[in-house]
Amino acid sequence: MADLVNLTIDGVPVSVPKGTLVVDAAKKIENDIPVFCYHPKLKPVGMCRMCLVDIGMPKIDPATKQPVRDEQGNVVIAFMPKLTTACTTPVSEGMVVRTATEQVRAAREDILEFLLTSHPLDCPICDKGGECPLQNLTLGFGPSVSRFDYDAKFHNEKHVPLGDLIYLDRERCIQCSRCIRFQDEIADDHVLQFHDRGRGMEIITFSDPPFDSYFGGNTTDICPVGALTTADFRFKARPWELASTQSLCTHCPVGCNITLNTRLETKSGGYEIKRVMPRQNEQVNEIWICDKGRYVHHFTRAEDRLRQPMVRRDGRLVEATWEQALQLVGERLKAAGTSVAAVVGDRIANEDAYLVAKLVRALNGAIGMSPSVPAHYADVARAFGVGAHANLAHLGKGDVILVVNGDVEEQAPVWFLRLRQAVVDRGAALVIAHSRSTKMHRYARAIHRYEPGYAARWVADRSEELIAKESLKDARNLLIVFGDEQLDGPSARALAQGLANLLIATGHAGKADSGLLPLYPHANTQGVFDVIAGADRAAASNGANGKVGADLRSPICDSRFEVAWLIGVGDASDAPSAGFTVVQELFMTALAKQADVVLPALSFAEREGTFTSGDRRVQRFYRALPPLGEARPDWWIAQEIAKRLGHSWGFQGPAHIFADLAHSIPHYSGLSYEVISKSEPQWPPMGRGDLYYGGTVYDNTGGLGARYASDAERDPAGVRPYDGAAPEPTIAGLERRPRPLYRDGELIRRSAVLASHIVPAQEVA
Amino acid sequence: MLREKRAADIAQVLAKYPPERKRSAVMPLLYIAQEEYGYCSDEAIREVAEIIGCDPTEVKSIVGFYTMFYEQPVGRYVIDVCDDLPCALRGADKFVTYCEKRLGIRAGQTTPDGKFTLNTVMCIAACDRAPVAQVNREYRYELTEESFDRMLDELSQS
Repeated sequence: MADLVNLTIDGVPVSVPKGTLVVDAAKKIENDIPVFCYHPKLKPVGMCRMCLVDIGMPKIDPATKQPVRDEQGNVVIAFMPKLTTACTTPVSEGMVVRTATEQVRAAREDILEFLLTSHPLDCPICDKGGECPLQNLTLGFGPSVSRFDYDAKFHNEKHVPLGDLIYLDRERCIQCSRCIRFQDEIADDHVLQFHDRGRGMEIITFSDPPFDSYFGGNTTDICPVGALTTADFRFKARPWELASTQSLCTHCPVGCNITLNTRLETKSGGYEIKRVMPRQNEQVNEIWICDKGRYVHHFTRAEDRLRQPMVRRDGRLVEATWEQALQLVGERLKAAGTSVAAVVGDRIANEDAYLVAKLVRALNGAIGMSPSVPAHYADVARAFGVGAHANLAHLGKGDVILVVNGDVEEQAPVWFLRLRQAVVDRGAALVIAHSRSTKMHRYARAIHRYEPGYAARWVADRSEELIAKESLKDARNLLIVFGDEQLDGPSARALAQGLANLLIATGHAGKADSGLLPLYPHANTQGVFDVIAGADRAAASNGANGKVGADLRSPICDSRFEVAWLIGVGDASDAPSAGFTVVQELFMTALAKQADVVLPALSFAEREGTFTSGDRRVQRFYRALPPLGEARPDWWIAQEIAKRLGHSWGFQGPAHIFADLAHSIPHYSGLSYEVISKSEPQWPPMGRGDLYYGGTVYDNTGGLGARYASDAERDPAGVRPYDGAAPEPTIAGLERRPRPLYRDGELIRRSAVLASHIVPAQEVA
Repeated sequence: MLREKRAADIAQVLAKYPPERKRSAVMPLLYIAQEEYGYCSDEAIREVAEIIGCDPTEVKSIVGFYTMFYEQPVGRYVIDVCDDLPCALRGADKFVTYCEKRLGIRAGQTTPDGKFTLNTVMCIAACDRAPVAQVNREYRYELTEESFDRMLDELSQS
């Protein structure tokens, strides 16, 4: 390739693309040049001087412009008079880098000695101790003794709240500015800066409210010392005591890969989550997570989690054994015949939804999704979603990102970060159509407005104008992010269809990095839809009654059934009216209090399974905690109920169920636990043995997941525009207010650390 | 409010920058704020941030970096004496000690009557005529204990 540059680093030849920094080129050949301020996700600043190396270039004869050669014919290398920062120097042809010289060794030792002059060395009580780059680099490159008197150390404030979630220890800070640069370059919340200079320089916030950013927790991850700590984790555990489990965040459609750090706690009777950390997946969340994902874990070990099945006796819910509860549910289902309705929440795993749908199908009952609106358009999103190999990192100059009726930062925070970078750093054009302003509006090339509730009408009426005005046909790719706020089901469907038509009309349908990106409410909205709608299609082709899927868009909550079975619907307020209601939940929700039987389910942290993200990536999560009380996974409960009705499925666990699921749901054919568990080294390297982060939590060993192809990709010839006009807004639609990140709910309510951030439902505007 | 009191000056400053680059006006606006309030108060910083459309943290950082922006109220006369090495070689360090004794305050402090603030500062580019001070930005060269006393008397009477 023409734009590869050849150089040698400590005698090892390496070829890297033009523009690569020396520090990254060295990384390619596993030569870790120590750094503090440099971070591969941030722009280099060369502040800390830790990466000093000896750099030489071929000596060029000014007359001939040719490299000068010595008597043996070797190119003469002219080294720079002083050491150079590897993090700010791009490679050049013929460059020679020396990192192992005495001069470099001495420079590293000096820098560390300076950094440690005022560092408190309170490692024994520091949260970072054990995964601290400063510790690691000191051990590797630092002096064995300090010439500075301990008593002469410069002392500074230790517990400075920068906001209610992040604390700063001013004497641990080495002023690398990674936190400032993260907030400026990635989060675009400019709430951290330096103040004063020289010895007096320190990190401050003067914002109001202070350090208040949806992404603030990430600064504690990239802090190379223990200067920044979270209110949630500080002083809670030592990193080496923690067990790590590969998991997924459940709170939005992004599907961020996370690591759950757990520790045995005698007082809570078992393991509990001490900290949630990002896990590297460059196709999904890179190395970032939002603060909701980081702090909402407390529900997993909340005191009021349901631990025992309950049945209603003499008007009161009383504890029962599983045998008693399942027996009762089985009897009532038997007696109900086909008058059975199941409503499935969109946080439960694919395997759970699959077995529930399988049972409902066997009973010829009805099944619906909660919330019900996404069920109206999830098939459109699946048909015209982004390509199987799409990556938001591909988007840049020439591409158009269209955001319609959604608030990306509030509803899919990590997509906000990645889309913002596509626009701000790589030059993609952003066009927004919304009834109100969002943070994304800052970066828009064009802004269109309509009255609340009129999103679908606006798209239907204005598509041609939009195509012409924004030159959508000339775009290299067209990515359309859309939300369903203030829309009822039919309007949300009309919006998705109108946007799909826009893709077709502009020639972008089925292209790899083009397509729809829906802002679903939770982590498995698409998966639950796929599984319960897809199971029906399989049934229909076998000649069975196709009632399951037919009911998906019909309002079963308005109908009456003999038995209603509500699985993980959380604080949903509506449910089908029924003579007998079974609620499967984590908590005693309003619906559970009214139920005839309450079955305790396990949370995502206590079991394994798969979720399908909003962009149709099927990913695995693993068991991090032992079961709580008598609670059981939702799939187990469904299988046990089925057993009482004479169906012996004999599934051994989620992997077994997924094999059956992939066999019967066409979109999932070809997927298996083996396929989605595959991992590969991520670039930039950020895991074990790496110097950017001292711990192992970023390691992705649990799998990168796999995205199934959209219908438009599978069958380009079958692509047809949808017809039908967009309906008028309805009161029900307008009442579906925008969903802020910290909206009140059963799970977030259990995280005291977020209490002051929760937006009460009635205040959502 | 700065915006009302100094509307014309602010408009004049902003006119020098393209609207999408108005954050570049931060330093001249801070000078206006300092003139108006005597120092860059927290309130002034927030006002400037609002005028140029950036986060108050960014403005605070600029105030913190530049020594000529004051974060605390200062006296009517601010006396900045350079005590860098070349000036010290010409006796600036001893001169500062005298200033402190004469004013009855330490460098960095303000006299109780609110009249004088004494600061030691980095190079003000006049080592050849040290000891040198800026008094409310005006240079006073080749200062001695006697000329300092005279200067204080003059200023006290004005």
